[in-house]
Amino acid sequence: MTTLNIKNKCILVVAVAAIAFAGCKKYLDVNDNPNLASSASVELLLPAVQAALGHDLGNPLQIYGGIWSQYWTQSPTSSQYRSIDQYSVTTTAFDRTWRMIYSDALQDIQEILNLTQGKAASNQYTAIALILKAYAFQLATDAFGDVPLTEATKPGVTNPTYTPQQQIYDSIVAWVNTAISLIDVDAEVTPATDDLIAHGDMEQWLRFANTFKLRVLLRLSEVTPQKAAAGIQTLNNAEFLTKDAQIAYSAVGGNQNPLFSEMLELGRTQNLVASETSTKFMTQNRDPRADIFYTRFVSAARGIDSIIGIPQGSFRSNLRTFSLPSTVTGANARNDLSANAPVKFMSAAESYFLQAEAVARGWLTTGQPALTLFREGIRASFKSYNVSGVETYITNSPAAQWPSGTQQQIRAIIIQKWLAMNGNQGFEAWSEWRRTGYPDFFTVSRASALGDDRMPARILYPSSEVTQNLNFPGIKLIYEPVWWDVKD
Amino acid sequence: MSQIDFYASKGTLLIYLALTFLPFVPQTTAANANRFTDDHENFLAVKGRVTSGKDQQPLQGVSVTVKGTNTGTSTDADGNYGFNNIESNATLIFSSVGFATMEVPVRSRTIINIELQVEAGTLIETVITAIAIRRDKRSLGYSAPVIRSDELLTGRNTSSLNALQGKVAGVNITSTASAPNSSSRIVLRGGSSITGNNQALIVIDGIPTDNSDFLGGSDVRSTQTSGRVDPRSTVNFGNRGNDINPEDIESITVLKGPTAAALYGSRASNGAVVITTKSGRKGQKTEVTVSSTVTFSNVLKVPDFQNDYGQGYAIGLDSAGNNEYYLDPIENWSWGPPLTGEVQDWGQEINGVRRQKAFEAQKNNIKRFFELGKMINNTVSFAGSGEKTTFYLSLSSLNSDGIMPYDKDNYNRYNVRFNGTAQLSNKFTAGIGLNYSRINSNLVQGGQGSGSVYDNLLQTARDIPIHLMDDLDNPYNGYGFLNERGEPVYGFYGAYTVSPYFLLKNYKNENDVDRITGNFSITYKPLEWLDIVERIGADVYADRRRFKYPKFTYYPADEVTGNYARFNVQSEVGQYRENNFNVSEIVHDLMVTAKADLTSDIAASLMVGHNLRQRTVSVSDASTNESFGLIVPGWYNLDNSNGPAYNFNEFSRRRLTGLYSQLTLSFRQTLFLDLTARNDWSSTLPNDNRSFFYPSASASFAFSELMKKGTISDVLSHGKLRASVAQVGNDANPYLLNTYFARPEIDGGFGTTTFPFNGVPGITRSGRIGNPDLKPEITTAWEVGTELNLWNNRMYVDFSYYRNRSKDQILTIPISEGSGFTSMVINGGIVENKGIELSVRGTPIRTSEGFSLELYGTYTRNRNKVVDLELEGVTQVSLGGLADLAVVAAEGKPYGTFYGVDILHDDQGRVIVDDASGIPLETPGAVYFGSYNPDYMASWGANVRYKGWGFNILFDTKHGGQFVSRTKDIIDFNGTAWETAEHGRNPYVFPNSVYTDQDNKLVTNTDITFLPQDYFSNLPYGRNVIDASYVKLREVSLSYRIPKSKLKNSPFGDITVGIFGNNLVLWTPDANKYADPEINSAGATNLQGFDFTAQPSQRNFGFNVSVSF
Repeated sequence: MTTLNIKNKCILVVAVAAIAFAGCKKYLDVNDNPNLASSASVELLLPAVQAALGHDLGNPLQIYGGIWSQYWTQSPTSSQYRSIDQYSVTTTAFDRTWRMIYSDALQDIQEILNLTQGKAASNQYTAIALILKAYAFQLATDAFGDVPLTEATKPGVTNPTYTPQQQIYDSIVAWVNTAISLIDVDAEVTPATDDLIAHGDMEQWLRFANTFKLRVLLRLSEVTPQKAAAGIQTLNNAEFLTKDAQIAYSAVGGNQNPLFSEMLELGRTQNLVASETSTKFMTQNRDPRADIFYTRFVSAARGIDSIIGIPQGSFRSNLRTFSLPSTVTGANARNDLSANAPVKFMSAAESYFLQAEAVARGWLTTGQPALTLFREGIRASFKSYNVSGVETYITNSPAAQWPSGTQQQIRAIIIQKWLAMNGNQGFEAWSEWRRTGYPDFFTVSRASALGDDRMPARILYPSSEVTQNLNFPGIKLIYEPVWWDVKD
Repeated sequence: MSQIDFYASKGTLLIYLALTFLPFVPQTTAANANRFTDDHENFLAVKGRVTSGKDQQPLQGVSVTVKGTNTGTSTDADGNYGFNNIESNATLIFSSVGFATMEVPVRSRTIINIELQVEAGTLIETVITAIAIRRDKRSLGYSAPVIRSDELLTGRNTSSLNALQGKVAGVNITSTASAPNSSSRIVLRGGSSITGNNQALIVIDGIPTDNSDFLGGSDVRSTQTSGRVDPRSTVNFGNRGNDINPEDIESITVLKGPTAAALYGSRASNGAVVITTKSGRKGQKTEVTVSSTVTFSNVLKVPDFQNDYGQGYAIGLDSAGNNEYYLDPIENWSWGPPLTGEVQDWGQEINGVRRQKAFEAQKNNIKRFFELGKMINNTVSFAGSGEKTTFYLSLSSLNSDGIMPYDKDNYNRYNVRFNGTAQLSNKFTAGIGLNYSRINSNLVQGGQGSGSVYDNLLQTARDIPIHLMDDLDNPYNGYGFLNERGEPVYGFYGAYTVSPYFLLKNYKNENDVDRITGNFSITYKPLEWLDIVERIGADVYADRRRFKYPKFTYYPADEVTGNYARFNVQSEVGQYRENNFNVSEIVHDLMVTAKADLTSDIAASLMVGHNLRQRTVSVSDASTNESFGLIVPGWYNLDNSNGPAYNFNEFSRRRLTGLYSQLTLSFRQTLFLDLTARNDWSSTLPNDNRSFFYPSASASFAFSELMKKGTISDVLSHGKLRASVAQVGNDANPYLLNTYFARPEIDGGFGTTTFPFNGVPGITRSGRIGNPDLKPEITTAWEVGTELNLWNNRMYVDFSYYRNRSKDQILTIPISEGSGFTSMVINGGIVENKGIELSVRGTPIRTSEGFSLELYGTYTRNRNKVVDLELEGVTQVSLGGLADLAVVAAEGKPYGTFYGVDILHDDQGRVIVDDASGIPLETPGAVYFGSYNPDYMASWGANVRYKGWGFNILFDTKHGGQFVSRTKDIIDFNGTAWETAEHGRNPYVFPNSVYTDQDNKLVTNTDITFLPQDYFSNLPYGRNVIDASYVKLREVSLSYRIPKSKLKNSPFGDITVGIFGNNLVLWTPDANKYADPEINSAGATNLQGFDFTAQPSQRNFGFNVSVSF
């Protein structure tokens, strides 16, 4: 080999290296993510927020609320929710409940607020986002007590501190007030189909905001009654909901009623059956809604054709005779019609019952007496499920009679509200029971592991907070009441 | 050879080098080296034969070089070598991988026959180091133990990684279930990366290869997008590191520290396992080897069960305060009445008849469910050479039917390997190594999914003879019979569990993998002192999985007794799911190496290289509608989706380019110095941080060379001290820099809301916060050590002390979801590993009759600590795990500490119980348990040889460390665990307990009793953290090689027969009555220590025959 050849070879090496470096920059620019989107818009974010809250309300909160409001109890022929009926749930059970509120809903609400900030044209989106933010925080605080608020969804904060429930309630009212001030029923830019709840009907949102504000303030009736009364006065002669605010579900896989979709994943196991607490009360009051909320147990051989509940928490007994929740609540595992059950954010019946209570307490003026509103609530409940015989019921049923005395009137109102919310607003019914103590005929679950006739008064903080948030304040016991729950 | 323009060409080269980067290239001053032109008077022709000291067989391919020159040759198939013209006073060096290198002065002899000694771990053998560089072991400044083929094959492990267990100090291998499909995890010197990969890089013939473990059946979307592994419902399809056929392996070098592996760059910060495959040798006549192994397997460990109480549960207390029981025939619970032995009805009533059985414990019903697993493993290999070529071709098959009943758990692996070299001209050599692997399997799901066989099996009450229910045609066992109304019914007794036999027959988890790995190299050696190697490697595979879960609705057959209600329907919507993983990894290296003797005492070698790497991963996950499943039962296709099909796909590409250099200096074969430097540019880091540089230095001092004349050399044959220090940088995974938006998927655990929602599209913030300022992570390590050969190589000691520190770790940490996000990407975290490794090998007995006893052992102690997370206000991050039992990195604690809720103790260790229920209270927050890291690992083994006989035995142990067992959790829940009956079933006072009285004082509990059924069925998860210590009889083998003399007149060159066993016996501490602590539901992923109802591990044993022609 000659020297020249060697030099040529060496030059070649250098040349190859040089080419390699020249191409280097471009060669390395391959870090653009093809798998996810880099931007979003409000009309895409809004339905995601609503669906997240819908799933939380319709699945875990409906199950806990449904069982602890004694509409349902664990079936003796299955086992999925035994720990709920035993009041011996663990923190793990609530990870997803929490995630749906914070990561799925509140974060996207924050994105909407960021996108609409300073844009007057987007005010209607801002208003809806604020209402949903208030709604999500009420869910969170009613469920868990103190929760992160001031530091929640705040950039750079990964261990948010907890805000006391009292302050959370103040914030909720403030956001709703701001939302009300922003709503313009004649606005040009409103959501359309992307608003799964009201389809952009801003008047419906105004009614939603007013009704929700009334719900929030009434929740404080026992702990800070004066504050509640003062706040409610601002709603005098306001417009309240007259139809249900809800999300409609369908039979399409992934878009079914969230409770039913859980049942499908559990192999259509019927875990929820009628609780005697509810069926007994409805039967005694000849309530035609019993046949709407439950299926009949029919056995020709044994001559049975009726609505039958089993005692709350009696799953260890060998009972095999019971009614099931019907498809209108999404809780009938064997019937695909359950897929279509809506999830109610607030119902017309609830709206009337809230007004009735506020008027009965003398805190609100709507131009209508409490009795009228009470009856309108019953009518709205029947109407929502197309049940006939409402006037007979109002006339004859002991539970529909209007007693004298504010406390008894409140009792009647809350019991009627509980009846209306059977299997469709379970969590709200349970919160109202915690606030007022009504219905006052709940029984301690036969399977209770708590002892001392204790009953659940909150749901536990999720284990994700226990193990991942350094500012986590500590696990509460399930029977420790939240701040507004002061009535014995 | 022409007269070399030595300095001129070297100068050109140095310009190139200077252009690159090397700041510490020493000035090459006037060197001598005119030895090429020195005149010598006496030249000789020398020849001879090299044989093995072990069995006196001829050794082929032994490198024979003339010391101080570049003259060399290698032995042919008969062990012969020869030189035509060498100096009479020269010294010959004989070296071969796995044998002690010998230096033999010629002393004017013309025939020199040599017997090379096998001395595992001797100091002077040749080892393969980073980038396939062959090095004399004595020159290495770091620990690099070598395992040879025969040592690797003793236990006939189907996994070459598992076969390392107990054989190398400092290596932590988790072999999971020890089935052929099981994942194996190999970690060197403890985990250092908090959330990244901690496994050693696996390098086959110089090419880094993929060792992914895509966990089967887990949520592909969340695993891919968050990097987090969900162990709750998995199928272990194995990891890719186990695809290689162990019989193709010539040797494995373990490069434990970053120093050893620095040249591989960022991926080797966890060390490297360097596998060299077999090759043909020059001058070898074609040899055919046939090896067959038959292996049987059974279950190693099942939990301890109670045998006192049967099916059912307690329903209340009688007047005396004792339980009243209800024997519910549909139950999975074994909280029922005491077992009486009385013959009575059980199960469903079908056609007016119920079956009868004695109400007694079926003591072995779980163990007897499993059958004997069978596996046949065949390899045929051809090795040989032509005049200028060598080749090695092997074909192998592994067919296994595992320990599950029927033939529904199959794993089949086929490998074809071709390795060849060709000398193209005097200056060029080309090499090729190609391996094609084909794997197809059908495996069984573990965890808590509906198809989990073990989970359903464990949920069997103690009196149920489940192992007798395999006949699904029997109406009392089966599913799908029609009742009078024509409805399909089930006759199986259980309403809450499904017959594991039914699951095995109807749930399919199919997998096939096609994989090609290859390396192609061209070596150009224009000058004696210079060579240039261009090598391209590829690892390309398609891993396809098909999950077929049946659609059915069965009513209970029994409508008469009232025990079964129509609500006790067994129903599934069915599913067809496809997971496809396409991985392609392409690596290029161009290396230029120059060697020179700078003075008569100092030799130098300088290598510079350029590396390019690209990894592309394409993942798709498609399924029939996740809520409504299939339309037509039995048709497994996405077209059969009842509603919109589910789809997820992800494509990622990463690239890295690097420049590296290594300078090696040696002084009189006594003092060695290695300096390496590497700069990488990565596509996954932000532009400003994408370039990172890291150096290493190591030194070795063969001090025994200085003592050759003293009496000490009688004891100390060889000895060296070594020291090294290194840095290795590491880049991130792709796409971690930004925060994105994703399609909404609202996961309720059971049931999911997906988008578009009734036709309305949506988008949501993705849960992970990206980090646009990401920096590379840097591991800094140093080690010191010594290797000693004593008493004429009869004893060998290798000791290291090391310390690794990783900082700026790239972490995706779960954060409080109150933040609105679920995780974020950060740089943070200093993790330190320090430890000692000791390997000892000795041959106390070696007789002239050929009897030898060799003893060996290893001891490894690694201390792992998260020093600082470097996150403001953050002292702990969660690494994953389960929400109620996280694995965390907490400052001051070992990496991988378990963190969860436990029962509450007071400061005296007494349990605080609820003053009403008597059940222990739970801790108000999570508490720390131990970590999954063992305190120490050790092994002890012996090899006995006598003539053709060989006997090996190996024990190993891991001591300390914890694991989480859902196996325990489910049998506690179910009332079958041993401890659920320890104090009977009536309410009793929790042992050593206190409660808080009205005055808020803790008082000793003597009267508040609790119902065990309520407590055990709802334990806080921390109760499932148990001691992971074990001792295992890892391997035993006995082999016999038929003496050559008896084969003389046969066509056979060699026949060896043997029996063997691996994973044979397990000893665990009393606290672990549940499972083999090695099983891990998350396979070889970073999530360790989770037995999430993982399938039990197996014991393997069998025989093998190896014949060569």
